[in-house]
Amino acid sequence: MANEGAILELRAAQPSFDESGMAPVPIDLRLMPGDCAVVECRDSARATLFADLCCGMISLASGNVRFMGLDWAELGDRQFYALRGRIGRITRRGSWLDLFGTHQNIILQQLHHTTRPTADVVADAMALGLAFGFPGLPVTSPGHLSAADLARAACVRAFLGRPDLLVLEDISDVLPADAAVAFLEAITAARDRGAAVIWFVRHAATWADYRSAVNVHLRLLDEGLFPVRGV
Amino acid sequence: MTGGTVAPGPPDLSEDGSPEGLPEGLPDGPSGWLKARLARIRPALAWIGRLTRHQVRFVLVLIGSAWGVVRESMRPNSWRRTVREEFRLCLRQVVGGGFLSTIVTATLAGLMVVSQAVYWLGFAGMAQMTGSILVSVLVREISPVLVGIILLGRSGMLVLTEIGMLTLGGQIRALQAQGMDPFLLLVLPRTCAFMVGGFTLGILFATNALLMGFIITHASGVITTSVWTFFANVLAAMSSWDFLVIPLKFILVGFFVGLGACMTGLLVDADDTIATLMPRGFARGIMTVMVVNILFILGG
Repeated sequence: MANEGAILELRAAQPSFDESGMAPVPIDLRLMPGDCAVVECRDSARATLFADLCCGMISLASGNVRFMGLDWAELGDRQFYALRGRIGRITRRGSWLDLFGTHQNIILQQLHHTTRPTADVVADAMALGLAFGFPGLPVTSPGHLSAADLARAACVRAFLGRPDLLVLEDISDVLPADAAVAFLEAITAARDRGAAVIWFVRHAATWADYRSAVNVHLRLLDEGLFPVRGV
Repeated sequence: MTGGTVAPGPPDLSEDGSPEGLPEGLPDGPSGWLKARLARIRPALAWIGRLTRHQVRFVLVLIGSAWGVVRESMRPNSWRRTVREEFRLCLRQVVGGGFLSTIVTATLAGLMVVSQAVYWLGFAGMAQMTGSILVSVLVREISPVLVGIILLGRSGMLVLTEIGMLTLGGQIRALQAQGMDPFLLLVLPRTCAFMVGGFTLGILFATNALLMGFIITHASGVITTSVWTFFANVLAAMSSWDFLVIPLKFILVGFFVGLGACMTGLLVDADDTIATLMPRGFARGIMTVMVVNILFILGG
């Protein structure tokens, strides 16, 4: 089959306008292992909706969205929750549970979806935390962290484990400069392991340092998703 | 080719299958008359349906989610470490948070119910019925209601607020985006913790209320038997049905108080606030406690 091996594939996926408010235009996208797609989108709300669409959280009027060859719409509850556990995601909206400390928020997905020993997960999270500029893992409530530290924590959470797909919304305005290199290194490491990456950016300057490594460049507008020449 | 003859074909039909072009309001035979009548009463039927669904929605949600909790709790795969940790935390909160309230309430209930029952039954010359009266009134009827109210007030409202705020803040959706089913991660462990907590606090309540009642009546000289004889009389007055029903009541009261709080929190509307959420949750919780007890009375 032609689409065999694609990590993420949107085939004429037309989001339901009633549920999402997204323009009901068909969207096509195909990401293979190791691909990095930069999606330019100035409207962060639209980017979030598109990220939700890729994660199977928005119902479709027609077409389909496949992740690792499986159509989100055809999966049962247990299957799609399990499949989403293979996605590392950075969101702009608040996605931290105040019930737990930040460290628990970071490792929660791994603890829930894997049987790896907790100590290993914590050690990996610590290593990523150090790379992103934390002295370890923040244990305070997410509500007590600054926006910059929450951005670092979001990166640690997204890159933790071995996600097959990274859906990264633009947090470049809050992510401290000292974490920018770690961010790009983490993307490269994930791609080397075979993950696909969708990186939403609002400005060209955000990904300028990584331009040479990007192989798909798209622009997300109200009218749909359009390829941009000249990557 | 264009123009020329028009090929005969099926008549144009509207979406509901009726021939187009008929003047509105003119019935076309018996079926048309019936359709016209139905069209007239359809809004009224829809209104009745909406009202009925709205009123029974929570009951249906509760029944469906109760089945969901029972089914999911049977699957070993459901009890992942995150779910087990949530169960442990919630159980500690339910039992630890409700312990003191249960002891104090049980003491007061014991002082009032046991001492009064012993005194007046002795006064009426029916002291031999003390055990059965205490079992049927205090242990079987009052304890589950009071334990349910303690569970609701001490822990149910907390759970309702926590989950309601998570839902309103979009954090439940964020959980789903990470592949964590809120039903599995929040509802299942908390409902099970409430169930175990309900049983624990219920047994504590009943034992403590009887003990306090005995101490008071013994101190005032109304009862002269030993505490062992007193409890033996109470146990002797219990039928085998009581041994089943009393723990079951505690378990089910805890189960439904926890489940009701979780589901009310998960099903908040976008325009809900704490001010609208908490009174609704409290009213639903009290109704749940009463309904569970009334169902047992009807069943008994």
